Amino acid sequence: MNQSGLSLMDKLRIELSVQRVDFVLDARVPRVKRRQIRNELRSNLTEAAQQVGVEAAIRQLGDLQALANSYLDLYRGRFDFRAGYRWAIIAYAAIQVLSLAIFFAFSTGVRAGGGHPASYLFWSGFGPFGGNAAAHSFELLLLSPAHILIMAVAFAIGTSYKLILRR
Amino acid sequence: MPDHDAHDSQLLKGVLSLALLRLLAERESYGYELVMRLHELGLGEVQDGSVYPALGRLERDGHITSRLVASSSGPARKYYRLSRSGYAEMAHTELAWNSLVRALGPILSRPVPTRPKEAAK
Repeated sequence: MNQSGLSLMDKLRIELSVQRVDFVLDARVPRVKRRQIRNELRSNLTEAAQQVGVEAAIRQLGDLQALANSYLDLYRGRFDFRAGYRWAIIAYAAIQVLSLAIFFAFSTGVRAGGGHPASYLFWSGFGPFGGNAAAHSFELLLLSPAHILIMAVAFAIGTSYKLILRR
Repeated sequence: MPDHDAHDSQLLKGVLSLALLRLLAERESYGYELVMRLHELGLGEVQDGSVYPALGRLERDGHITSRLVASSSGPARKYYRLSRSGYAEMAHTELAWNSLVRALGPILSRPVPTRPKEAAK
């Protein structure tokens, strides 16, 4: 039963606004607090939409990014997992870029020596780079224990460096 | 030409907590209702998006408490009321505000000298 008197489209627009705010808080604000914020926003927006229409209700909310940032300032958790993910991805990309750089630096010489210049491997040895000096080979490892370790360290630094800097 | 009925948003931001505490001292309210009450009292430019985090800040600081109340017209409403510390905070902020107004009064009541030519540009 539609108790709110709002159309499905109105409810979707309200939900979209709520989710836009929630997206900024994702992985930064504790789950329980995020759920409370979503519920309160949904409730207030529904109430406002019943009074002034959904468009005006969303407009009255102001800049959603600014609202999300206000909540973020207020309820930011100890660890910023979003920053952690970003740091881990950057670390992985950096390893791969470095692998390519090493590959391009050596491939010409290795090819001249008759070796196999490079190959892509998955989980071969500790990494992050592989190869065999005797066979003049260089392996670009897509994933290795070293990758995981470096990404884990980057993730840990990314989640907590702001906390450490604040001290 | 500046709109004399509009309030400076920065000034409003500074006293929003006091206004909310005062309204909640009158009666328990939920977020949107507080926005409406502010609008009815002449603060029409106060946006919902500045009231909700302000309520969150007051709740975090222990000045207000909340409870969920089921609503027949939609999702449950979060009602806020003043806590004991909220009454103390309201009294303290009111004193600070009145003291500021008293201090500003003599400054604002002094006659402004004729504007120099450079300032008129």
